[in-house]
Amino acid sequence: MAWHHFLHPLKLFIFLGCFIAALSIFILLGFLIQSSLPFWQAFGITSLWGKEWYPYESLYGFLPAIVGTIWALIIAMLIAVPCGVSAAIVSSEMLSPAWRNMARIGMEVLAGIPSVVYGLIGLWVLLPFLQHSLDLLTGHNLLAAGIILSLMILPTIMVMSQDALQAVSAEQRESAMNLGLNENQCLYRVLLPQAWSGIRSGMLLALGRALGETMAVMLVVGSMDRLPQPFYNILEPAQTLTSRIGREMGEAAFGSLHFSALMGCALILAIIAMALSLFAYQKQTTS
Amino acid sequence: MKYVLFTASLLFALPLQAAENISAVGSTTVLPVISQAAAVFHTAHPDVNILVSGGGSGVGVAAMIQGTAQLGMASRDISPEENVKLKGKIENIVIASDAVAVVVSKAVYLSGVHALSLTHIADIYLGKIRNWKELGGADSRILVIDKEASRGTRHVFAKAVLGSAHARAAGASIISGSNNEEQSIISRSNNAIGMLSNAWLNDQVRGVDVIVDGKAIAPTIEHVRDGSYPIARGLHVLLPKNASKNTHDFVHFLLSHDGQAIVKKVGYLPVR
Repeated sequence: MAWHHFLHPLKLFIFLGCFIAALSIFILLGFLIQSSLPFWQAFGITSLWGKEWYPYESLYGFLPAIVGTIWALIIAMLIAVPCGVSAAIVSSEMLSPAWRNMARIGMEVLAGIPSVVYGLIGLWVLLPFLQHSLDLLTGHNLLAAGIILSLMILPTIMVMSQDALQAVSAEQRESAMNLGLNENQCLYRVLLPQAWSGIRSGMLLALGRALGETMAVMLVVGSMDRLPQPFYNILEPAQTLTSRIGREMGEAAFGSLHFSALMGCALILAIIAMALSLFAYQKQTTS
Repeated sequence: MKYVLFTASLLFALPLQAAENISAVGSTTVLPVISQAAAVFHTAHPDVNILVSGGGSGVGVAAMIQGTAQLGMASRDISPEENVKLKGKIENIVIASDAVAVVVSKAVYLSGVHALSLTHIADIYLGKIRNWKELGGADSRILVIDKEASRGTRHVFAKAVLGSAHARAAGASIISGSNNEEQSIISRSNNAIGMLSNAWLNDQVRGVDVIVDGKAIAPTIEHVRDGSYPIARGLHVLLPKNASKNTHDFVHFLLSHDGQAIVKKVGYLPVR
């Protein structure tokens, strides 16, 4: 190819944009690895399953925050996936186009609300409700974090599932009807299997968002660096990786081991998020 | 063209007469004094904007070490480790003192818990006492509120009660951040205990007396003044040695008659 093809301003601009986007991922990972390296060198990988986090006593155990993060994600997905997929089925298959658009706009509005607002709603509405209805010492707990997260990822799941269902071709639907399938059969045998890869990508994207959410979680989770006792107790204050970074980053002096350990938390989050995206991408291309 | 020139000249003129921005970072206990003083100072010096934000004393000191703010706020003494890192870069000025009150929810106070000894408080934070019944209150579990490690109030409280600024509090049920956050958690609970500066007490958030040698001492400014209240402390501003003239003037203003009147109005004990 001749060079002037590349030198066309528009092409140059597109290539540059693409290059910057790709580069930023490597810069980010490189920065996280480089800044957390002193910590891994000093304490090693065993910190990942250490149970105690007391920076002032040089104890950096990641396990409580990792367990907390996983619990918050599980609760959020358990609530948001059934609700989001059902909402998508209703709006895509049962509502008239006008109502379908209304539902979609509603979801998009929900997706645009800043996370601190969700956090405050959680603080003022959800926590007192949980505290009184479950007779708890405090409403700050993993369940509250999971519920708030589920609200925040609901739009992603619903919108992506709706798109996937709408993308099932009219011929498929017509063939199903010609075969005499009723609505339920059509839904379970034709629509959902066809739309599954799109729904799954929606779920994985939502998982990524829930993983990285900081502000709303920090306000409701209680930020207590302690393993849930017993491990399935989601009604006690706990800690997540993001909330720990949010609470402690301001104080950790740049370059200190504490700072480095927090960067280690960020690295774990980044690796999980990237693994999720890669997984979603691979599934989409193979199916 | 004229219009473009006019706009361009505006753009160039802006930085020339631009106001100086001074950012003050750190303790949310010191914050109300600084932000009210900043508003008064701004009316006298319209070209100086003082931007105040919280984060905690630890954040204030870290900002001084890293040189990311023009003024630090701290509600505790600087630790020896921090002093090493600061390398004498700052001047530490006490502008007020206050009491770290041991606060409880209104319901706890009304149920009869009016005074606690330091040993009782320590036992609560160590998890040895878990029910208000043991202290003469109602039969309900205690919601023990601890603070982020970076908070000055936590340092002062833990030092007085548990013996060291970074002592573990095994009995803690929840970690809070700023004074506002803790105040709102306590006011929404019926069985909480926490630590707050005396200026943050209200109807929902009551301070209990601390028993010293058999005598109950209320967390009031009078008891800070006569030295009888055991958990008292100085409130500091941290002034970098290379600070601008306006920053110096502002600190002078804090120590002036008008500045100290603001300290008093917020609810702290003036230093002069």
